Amino acid sequence: MITIDHLTKRYDDTVAIDDLNFEVKPGVVTGFLGPNGSGKSTTMRIIMGLDHATKGAATINGRHYHELATPLREVGALLDAKAVNPRLSARNHLRSLAASNKIPYSRVDEVLEFVGIASVAHKKVGGFSLGMSQRLGIAAALLGDPQILLFDEPVNGLDPEGIRWIRDFFRSLAKEGRTVFVSSHLMSEMAVSADEIIVIGRGRFITSGSVDDLTKDAKGSVLVRCSDGDALRATLGDATAIEELNDGALSITGPSAKDIGEMALRAGVALWELTPQRASLEEVFMDLTADAVQYGHHVGAAQ
Amino acid sequence: MNATLWSAIKSEWIKFRSVRSTWIGLATFIVLTIGIGLLVTFTISGHINDHGGENRIGFDPTVTSLVGLFLAQFAVGVIGIVMMTGEYASGAIRTTLTAIPRRLRLVAAKKVILAISMFVVSEVTVFAAFLIGQAVYHRVNIGTSLGAPGVCRSVFLAGVYLTLLALLGFGIGIILRTTAFSIMVYTAILLIIPVIVNFLPQSWKSAVTKYLPSELGQSMFTPHGSPSGFSWLPALLVLLAYVGVVLVAGIAVLEKRDA
Repeated sequence: MITIDHLTKRYDDTVAIDDLNFEVKPGVVTGFLGPNGSGKSTTMRIIMGLDHATKGAATINGRHYHELATPLREVGALLDAKAVNPRLSARNHLRSLAASNKIPYSRVDEVLEFVGIASVAHKKVGGFSLGMSQRLGIAAALLGDPQILLFDEPVNGLDPEGIRWIRDFFRSLAKEGRTVFVSSHLMSEMAVSADEIIVIGRGRFITSGSVDDLTKDAKGSVLVRCSDGDALRATLGDATAIEELNDGALSITGPSAKDIGEMALRAGVALWELTPQRASLEEVFMDLTADAVQYGHHVGAAQ
Repeated sequence: MNATLWSAIKSEWIKFRSVRSTWIGLATFIVLTIGIGLLVTFTISGHINDHGGENRIGFDPTVTSLVGLFLAQFAVGVIGIVMMTGEYASGAIRTTLTAIPRRLRLVAAKKVILAISMFVVSEVTVFAAFLIGQAVYHRVNIGTSLGAPGVCRSVFLAGVYLTLLALLGFGIGIILRTTAFSIMVYTAILLIIPVIVNFLPQSWKSAVTKYLPSELGQSMFTPHGSPSGFSWLPALLVLLAYVGVVLVAGIAVLEKRDA
């Protein structure tokens, strides 16, 4: 269990984290979602005892990270895959970590095998690709067989196969009763890999809940261009939310693209375009964080 | 010894011995100390009897055989500096601190590794440089031996001086974090500040000079003491105090700073 209690981090005149409060529970994958620069990494660094909180605290089973005698046996983290001495071999890197926390060296070979880099264990880490470094980072996180695991943007740099592997891996860790805390700036990623989601923006708490809770109210919309908008409206009925866009296209929320197509056929309306819109989760996230995007004017200009 | 400190030492030792730069640094140090010692003793032994022995005035067989350490002290400092700045250059410090979150324990572990390895290597190297130098001198009968008064102590303290300089570099590295900046400051302390002090008024100069680290070293490894400076014991204590202050400052900075 990770407890974030009134956590605040201030740098001179900017507030990176503003009075965050939440708990990360065991047995589920908890997603930590927010736009880039929203304070996810800073929160994780404070949990790991790297950065100091200005106010409040982040604790692990009630204790600060630096109070843990052999921290790697309680918490494993992959914060920055490249934070390794490039001149060390993968095996020596893991051995030095193992030695520091009284973990037997046999465990080093086990985790190297598990993440699939045993064959390059003697190679210098400096020559590793980002994907290989990520695997080494995962090996380091698992080294002490910890009950709590943190991953900061773990899918960055992984190929599609690696991404699938890591999702299954998070699930299996959670199923074993471990606490799994994974950050991402991609709602779509969190939607498939997390059970619970905590959303922050500009260092402030926005919302939290299960993936279902967060998407319950949000339904997908379909973009439609057709020969006779009024006829299509009449067929769909008043209950359907239809929004007319500037260029005459309709944004229809409720029925699926298939239903709309069939109804248009019956009404004798010619469809010129029928496009299911971007994942609704993504929109939920955009709505939630719209006010909290750090560089709001950039986003505004892009739209 | 505290069990967790021992684990931290083992961890740091794996890193220290596994990177090639450690061995390059140590080899550079050994070659400089012994090589320059050979060069200088050969040159001196070839000319010492020119000008009817006039050249012997002020000649010290111990100090001249150890003269290589005036250059080697930079190699030693860099080994100490990189011990910490290397972690910052790669970002590995963040991984290291998650494994060993107590900053004091991390610094203590690194310090133990650095102090012991530098002490062993320095002592072997300075005694080798001394003995080789005396072998060269004995061909023209101007050598001394470890049995002569103060000589064994001086050679031993030369090794201690180098060990303390490695620790000084280490402390500077903790505070400044970048290798280039740390080497600049270390070099300034050993080379540039003495030059600046030289331009001070005479009364200040003599008061300040003897406190300079390079001057303290001279006092430590000159068998008969340096004429204007401290004798060996106060020199050793002052240098120890410098190292202590820099390391304490380093730990304080490390505790306060975000990694």
